[in-house]
Amino acid sequence: MTSFVNIEFNNISKHYRRRIILEGVDFKLQKGQCTMLCGTNGSGKTTLLRIMAGLEKPDAGTISTGLVEIKWRTYRRALQAKIMYLHQHPYMFDASVRQNIAYALPRGYSSSDRSRHINEALQWADLESLADNSATSLSGGEAQRVALARAWLRAPAALLLDEPMANMDQESRLRTHTLLRQLKSDGMAIVLTSHDEMQFQSLTDRQLLLKNGKISADSIPMQAENVSTFPVGHTARHHTA
Amino acid sequence: MESLNSATIDAIRLLATGDSELWGIIGISFRVSTTAILIAIPPSLLLAFMLANGRFPGRRLLISVFSTLLSLPAVVVGLTLYLVLSRQGPLGDLRLLFTQSAMVLGQIALCVPILIAMGHSAFQAADRRAWETARTLGASPLRALLTVMHEVRFGLFAVLLAAYGRIIAEVGASMMLGGNILNYTRNIPTAIALETSKGEFSQGIALGIVLLLLAFGLNGMLHYFQGKGRFAT
Repeated sequence: MTSFVNIEFNNISKHYRRRIILEGVDFKLQKGQCTMLCGTNGSGKTTLLRIMAGLEKPDAGTISTGLVEIKWRTYRRALQAKIMYLHQHPYMFDASVRQNIAYALPRGYSSSDRSRHINEALQWADLESLADNSATSLSGGEAQRVALARAWLRAPAALLLDEPMANMDQESRLRTHTLLRQLKSDGMAIVLTSHDEMQFQSLTDRQLLLKNGKISADSIPMQAENVSTFPVGHTARHHTA
Repeated sequence: MESLNSATIDAIRLLATGDSELWGIIGISFRVSTTAILIAIPPSLLLAFMLANGRFPGRRLLISVFSTLLSLPAVVVGLTLYLVLSRQGPLGDLRLLFTQSAMVLGQIALCVPILIAMGHSAFQAADRRAWETARTLGASPLRALLTVMHEVRFGLFAVLLAAYGRIIAEVGASMMLGGNILNYTRNIPTAIALETSKGEFSQGIALGIVLLLLAFGLNGMLHYFQGKGRFAT
């Protein structure tokens, strides 16, 4: 796992033309913690996630690690290897599932090590039977598993997911839930957005409710017990170049 | 009609017998145009990508300028570069006029607007998530750019074909900047113009056949790749 310094976002604001998207939002990315951002459409969830991922620049606010404030440009450059963002509908490159997963593997591995790591990721996400299929023809749930396998392989310090279970059937939801739980147990900080406050209750440590670009509630959800999980591969990660 | 038939038969005979003068002209054409497009591609596609995805002052103006330059007449490019490269011109000391290098410069000037304006459209068709996904997976900006190019490869290939087709068939700039010197700067279009003006149609038709075959071959390749391994129906 990449070494991770907790990152604090303070007083973050974002506007589009005259419309306020985020106003004075404080947020902290913490190792091994899963945070859920809830709110209605247009409440600012996705924008906050994209700012954390370095994909959108805030209009105001500061970012700091520990007590040291860092500039946006430095943050963007430094975070690339540490934070990973998954779109609501993960993008699949026009290639096979195996090649899509291989893209996430850092350079510097020998050919045999590459194959081994990719096979482990395929096994981890239960994608072995789809390995040589075209990734662009996958269902939403399968594409999400490919995206999570890429995250598992890349092992970022923080994983940001925008509506990870949107338009998924029950089986895909359970699989995704199980994979996310494993990533969290690896120590990954997870931030996800959802309309449904109940959907990730067993996974989340903290729940923030966004309303009109502001955090209107900050709570610790009731941990649901005996949550069903889907049996997927439990491959141990051994990243050695 | 009879003279056209006999000229066409002569043209095919010239091609089939490997007439050295004819094939020399074809070689010069391909060498000059391929050099020009290879030089023009990297900066043009980079700028096209930035125009499609960047947000910077003057972006819209640049898009309008390059779109306007799409219809730039080749003789205007030829005249402008002629003035720049002639002995009295600012680059006269380089003595490039009436050389293949001057023809390459002219053809670069002609294909750059096509590569940028049409490349911009091709990149606009790319899903923005492709770039963001590549970056979030740790790709460097260059690798992410190459990934996006791969995602829109069919559109970009069509752009390259359009640009190559434009420069290999243009007469004005090559005539003015190359001077139509046999075995040195005479290329397919300038040779066709010359032979036709002399009433010698055989070589002109032979060279025209080469251009048509080139166009057919390049379009066939495009359809083949778009059909992902088979000719699209």
